[in-house]
Amino acid sequence: MEKKIKELEARRERITAGGGEKRIAAQHQKGKMTARERILTLLDPGSFIELDAFVEHRCDDLGMDRIQAPGEGVVIGYGMVNGRLVYVFAQDFTVIGGSLGEMHAAKICKAMDMAVKVGAPIIGINDSGGARIQEGVDALSGYGDIFYRNTQASGVIPQISVIMGPCAGGAVYSPALTDFVFMTEKSANMFITGPQVIKAVTGEDVSAETLGGATVHMEQSGVAHCSFPNENATIEGIKKLLSFLPQNNIEDSPVIANGDDPARMLADLADVIPDSPNKPYDIREVISRIFDNGDYFEIQPLYAKNIVTCFARLAGRSVGIVANQPKELAGVLDINASDKASRFIRFCDAFNIPLVTLTDTAGYLPGVGQEHGGVIRHGAKLLYAYSEASVPKLTVIIRKAYGGAYIAMCSKHLGADQVFAWPSAEIAVMGPDGAANIIFKKEIEESADPAATRKEKIDEYKEKFANPYKAAVRGYVDDVIAPAETRRRLSSALAMLLGKRETRVPRKHGNFPV
Amino acid sequence: MKKYKVTVNGQQYDVSVEELGGVSAPLAPTAAAAPPLVSPAAPAAPAAPAVTGSGTIRAPMPGTVISVRVSVGQAVKRGDVILILEAMKMENEICATMDGVVSALRVQAGASVNTGDPMLDLA
Repeated sequence: MEKKIKELEARRERITAGGGEKRIAAQHQKGKMTARERILTLLDPGSFIELDAFVEHRCDDLGMDRIQAPGEGVVIGYGMVNGRLVYVFAQDFTVIGGSLGEMHAAKICKAMDMAVKVGAPIIGINDSGGARIQEGVDALSGYGDIFYRNTQASGVIPQISVIMGPCAGGAVYSPALTDFVFMTEKSANMFITGPQVIKAVTGEDVSAETLGGATVHMEQSGVAHCSFPNENATIEGIKKLLSFLPQNNIEDSPVIANGDDPARMLADLADVIPDSPNKPYDIREVISRIFDNGDYFEIQPLYAKNIVTCFARLAGRSVGIVANQPKELAGVLDINASDKASRFIRFCDAFNIPLVTLTDTAGYLPGVGQEHGGVIRHGAKLLYAYSEASVPKLTVIIRKAYGGAYIAMCSKHLGADQVFAWPSAEIAVMGPDGAANIIFKKEIEESADPAATRKEKIDEYKEKFANPYKAAVRGYVDDVIAPAETRRRLSSALAMLLGKRETRVPRKHGNFPV
Repeated sequence: MKKYKVTVNGQQYDVSVEELGGVSAPLAPTAAAAPPLVSPAAPAAPAAPAVTGSGTIRAPMPGTVISVRVSVGQAVKRGDVILILEAMKMENEICATMDGVVSALRVQAGASVNTGDPMLDLA
């Protein structure tokens, strides 16, 4: 028996050593941790249980019969993050480049299947050279099996993809199918076709970083949701995100008592908003004042900055916030903002996270580029996502809420449960200038002094319509509240809505305007 | 000098692209070389305008410039407010996208701009 136990220990040691000292040193040299180090940093000390460590590939083509791949280039298992169960898989770049073959994929699939079965989030750490070419169609089948599971698990358990190295070709689509993509700056790259292929096909010279680094995916493509300067910061980011999420679609997020009084009055909140409706301000100043301890976690902070999406807590409960950002592009809605916000809304709805919407937008961005880019179908996503969401929906209209954008930003008409407006709110079919020019076109044209008449009519319109009371008279706004009361009223509304139930006509699924 | 054969809507164009030495290259060299190959509007256009492209602040949306806060020769830092663009009922602060020196003002207060119009050059 003792001999057999010794053999087990020896076998384990060989597997834990991964690609060996030399490759591990090379990994460290690049500022990267090994797969096991990453998992141990993420999970609570002593909680990691590895599964499938003994799995081996069964490929004997093209010299693969002579290649040893300890652990098949991926480490899987489960453990705790702040005392809550998660499943993890981490590709091991030190073992044949973390390349994905049949059995490598089978291990990932096992982790995913178990995560769904027990209702725990899955975190996948990607660091792989791509498909293991020697395994041919078996490697492709591996990718396909993962994509299929990503899709089946979508909306059932939170899926977080972490990119800490190369992620190219077919490998990018698993992260794209998950809920969140986190990238580590400098070391992470994501692209369908790499720099060499692009060079060969189009002649363009482009570095991996310029093509698919964290900056590009954070600012331009919108593929990544968060990026961090190094691996430790990335792992802290995952833990922070998890703190806002439930374990699965039938649970609620944990309620965390944090000492912030739900009825706290916000004496200085009104001062954040400039008196002139034409002056910008930073909506994050409003968010940090309203929500618990000023703490919020922004998703896609650098993409479509004209809309802010973030998680925060209200009276200890997790909420998802969607807010127009007047500081960027006048806070307009456009193609990218609609896309960003609607995806966030659907995540929150899938995982029982109530939505709080802060409205201050003059409307959808005019322009040929937007129209030809399909702002009609992209803008429709926002309407669909809000209407579809059955979680508690709270809306605060801070300033401008004009036209289609008023409707789109979780108005009563799209099923908001409570809509509050500040006295500064301007809820109207369009801005005063444009409206006066159309309604009083004749009077202005026929006037002896058109400029004076125009101004007079604009003022008249402003006084009559650019306020929250026309909407409140109809009940489209539940109450007009002072900014200082915002936190108290939102907390109360959220508590009131905890028992919200909505029944819908049974259907297979709707046809989201993607 | 590099020669390319480019087909746009079935029409074939011979395009030669010359790489100019000495022009400060570090800013997006790929952006400078690529557009002539793919732009159907100007298949034979040289790459020249794109060289300054990365240092040009362009209008993010249609509107009216209501004030320019910097002058030619002034040094600015990334994030500094360089002009105010009134658009979508908002006085939008347009900020420098990089550190540099203002090399040309392409608009004045009162000018109307469309999305993508150059407003100011940084060198």
